[in-house]
Amino acid sequence: MAPAGGTRTRADWPARLAGGARWLFLTAYLAVVVFPMCWVFYTSAKTTQQIYKSPFGLPKVITAPSRANAEPLVRNYRKAWTGSHFGQYFVNSLIVVSVSLVGVVLLGSMAAYVLARFEFRGRNAAYFLFLCGLLIPMQLVLIPLFFQFSDMGEGLTRLLAPAARAMGLGNLTVSLHDSHAGLILIYIAFSLAFTVFTLTSFFRTLPGELREAAMIDGAGEYRIFFSVMMPLGKPGIVTIAIFNFLGLWNEYLFGLVFLSSDRLKTLPLGLASISMQAQYKSDFGLLFAALVISMAPTILVYIILQEKLTRGITVGALKG
Amino acid sequence: MKNRGQNLFIATFLGPPLLLYAVFVLMPAVNAFRYSLTRWDGLGPASWVGLANFRAILASGSEFLPAIGHNLFLTFVPGVGILSLALFFAYSIHQRIRGGRLYRVAFFFPNVISGVAVALLWVLIYSTSDVGLLNGLLKLMGHTQPIPFTESGRLLWAIVPMSIWSGTGFFMVLFLAAMENIPETYYEAAKLDGASSAVQFRSITLPLMWDVLTTGIVFLVVGGLKFFDAVYVMENGRPSGSTHTMSTLMYSKVFQEYNVGYGTAISVMLFLLVLAATAASLRLMRRERLEY
Repeated sequence: MAPAGGTRTRADWPARLAGGARWLFLTAYLAVVVFPMCWVFYTSAKTTQQIYKSPFGLPKVITAPSRANAEPLVRNYRKAWTGSHFGQYFVNSLIVVSVSLVGVVLLGSMAAYVLARFEFRGRNAAYFLFLCGLLIPMQLVLIPLFFQFSDMGEGLTRLLAPAARAMGLGNLTVSLHDSHAGLILIYIAFSLAFTVFTLTSFFRTLPGELREAAMIDGAGEYRIFFSVMMPLGKPGIVTIAIFNFLGLWNEYLFGLVFLSSDRLKTLPLGLASISMQAQYKSDFGLLFAALVISMAPTILVYIILQEKLTRGITVGALKG
Repeated sequence: MKNRGQNLFIATFLGPPLLLYAVFVLMPAVNAFRYSLTRWDGLGPASWVGLANFRAILASGSEFLPAIGHNLFLTFVPGVGILSLALFFAYSIHQRIRGGRLYRVAFFFPNVISGVAVALLWVLIYSTSDVGLLNGLLKLMGHTQPIPFTESGRLLWAIVPMSIWSGTGFFMVLFLAAMENIPETYYEAAKLDGASSAVQFRSITLPLMWDVLTTGIVFLVVGGLKFFDAVYVMENGRPSGSTHTMSTLMYSKVFQEYNVGYGTAISVMLFLLVLAATAASLRLMRRERLEY
């Protein structure tokens, strides 16, 4: 049943007019949201000259599909993927984000499970520390972390170099700057606060009897966690993993500060650097193709998992 | 015996995440306050200067005060649009209008795109060349001279529609969830009393979703205070005095001018503002909370 405005007994034309106006507005906004994205997708199949000549028209490959008309599309994507290294950026994003995701989901659910299910001294203090992280903007951490990384690299080198020499690996220098490992550590650590906070409240809602039953069956705490609690927690864990995926895949500022070599860059860094360099500014075929390569993965994830994602926002908001 | 095993379990499960979090988040956060009290170029020895950096950023004529202004502009001008559109869309969808699911799924789309990609997309939309969607539209309406929307003097205004475009969906979903949570019986009672849709919205929906509305405002304000990506990208990595936000100013002070203490002082101010905004809204939420 409609919660409001559902009864229309008489011919109340002001209400109907308002309904029409609302429909018009919603549809117009729908066009404003959807059209630019469609525009990016289909324009990436045109040559720069075609874009100049008819900026909004559909590409030939759609109006008259043929192998020859598909050539601009192939050329744009090849230029972006190999010529401008978007293939490399894509792989880099995939590595950094997937390793970070595994790390943050594993460590986050371990901490959350213990905080939600066990009584021990210091529990509230530990929970409070994670809670603080929700208020710490990355900007506060960025600069000290940048300089801390140099010290940590030196410390690790001093610690590990003798062992490496002993094992015949030659001179080893560890650096967290300009490395995927360094960025991954930051991403995991920085995503922990939100992950632990959300999963703690999730693990609290799981029934406690299951743990006791598993215990009577002789399962140890580790077994209980990995084969009872993790599977039970899957809905919460999946939701938090989607959120972290979107956040990390799109992250820019940490990457900008901590990665400088071109071969290590993630997609947002690669996209930002071609959009800021004068030499690419009018190579529209390339820009549109690069934009599609960067946007497609998160759009795909959203299309597949949108129910889970929106439900996640719902749960988070009503609990928080 | 059993207790010892359990303690070991707790330590192995809580230890690694807590250690990682302490080393990469808490420690640098605490260090930021120390850095902000020094003058340092990032290489040589740092010298202790007390509150001089803070006096400098808060002095009249500093670049920091306009930057706060830009952050506030980028928070509240799009924020009003985002909140009213999100409330309107959520309320419409909540009333089970035809196509509600389509609107809900579609309006959220821009929220999953990265800030950098959104910025580049809007650079293309605003382009003064023939590619520019908006200038093309203006040309169709008889406007001959293309408008350089993204030049420094206009950039902040140009970011407003972009922010609304990319931000509204999230808040719509948030508000819709809160509205679905309100018991139907309230609306039925109101309808019996002959309350119009607008009256129902004002006297049932809005008060009963107050908590979530406040949460939304906190997200919006914190996001606005941290604003970085679009200004940095649209200004080609070198924002000017008329576009700098706190974050871009901090970045360029530290990594382009090697003025580490000054840049860190900006980040500390940013943190304090985030803290103040959150505390203020939590207080507001507690006072106005309605139980049902």
